[in-house]
Amino acid sequence: MRALVIDDSRAMRRIVSGTLESFGYETRQAGHGQEALDVLLEGWVPDLCTIDWNMPVMDGLQFVSAVRSNPAWRAVTLMMVTSEGEQSQIVRALAAGAHEYVLKPFTADAIRDKLALLGLLPQEVAL
Amino acid sequence: MSAPVITALLDEATIQEIADQAWAALVGEDEVLVPLPGETGPDALSSWVEIAGPWTGIVVLTCDRDTAEELTRALLREHAPAELEAEDVTDALGELANVVGGNVKAVLPGPSVLGLPEVGVAPRASAPADTCRVDAQWRGRPLSISVQGGTPAALDLPDSDPTHQNGVPL
Repeated sequence: MRALVIDDSRAMRRIVSGTLESFGYETRQAGHGQEALDVLLEGWVPDLCTIDWNMPVMDGLQFVSAVRSNPAWRAVTLMMVTSEGEQSQIVRALAAGAHEYVLKPFTADAIRDKLALLGLLPQEVAL
Repeated sequence: MSAPVITALLDEATIQEIADQAWAALVGEDEVLVPLPGETGPDALSSWVEIAGPWTGIVVLTCDRDTAEELTRALLREHAPAELEAEDVTDALGELANVVGGNVKAVLPGPSVLGLPEVGVAPRASAPADTCRVDAQWRGRPLSISVQGGTPAALDLPDSDPTHQNGVPL
């Protein structure tokens, strides 16, 4: 499985990528929404995108809307991974088309549980 | 009606709890912030995020530079490069302020907007009456987390009142 990790923090990209790689994912990283869209447009379409909310150039909500407006990317699962914990923001992200919402700070187990719920945990890891 | 000051919305125990959760999840499961005062040196580095809403201000994390480097290594764990670049340290310290700030924002009245993290010399707490601060030690090294009303940018806005923020004199 493939995952695109989108976060303006290099440290957070490393942490999330490392967690997903430990679950067997092949990962790529992007520093903001536009950079992530460029990855999708070049044809590298992941099974999962993890998306920070507050980023320069294009924020996470704009990225979710852009992905959801393209039917070719309907199969991509969008998971917000953000410190934006306000209830109204969570509702906005889910309404825009995000499938799941993980609050920072998170543990690897929290990511694993969300992936299991989404059916995106490779079988050998889920066992 | 004037905007509330931070001490009417938040207390030190809540900041400590938020910081404890951030430390346990990001820095390490066994890493603790001991609520003990300590003085940072003259080379202290700060990271902060702005919250703009019914309460407006910044959440500031301050520690010495070597503490910031140690925090970066702890945060990155096995992903830490052999040689840390300055950008690694500012990025990691900024992300810690972002996570703590985001969780502080979640307990304040909303809706609010969270800014992007900035790193540098700590902005002055312009309104002591609108400041809530926790001093702590991590691995015996001092650091502080301060939630303080007013923003440096707000003072430069043409429509802002340069003498008051959140209802208190600057």
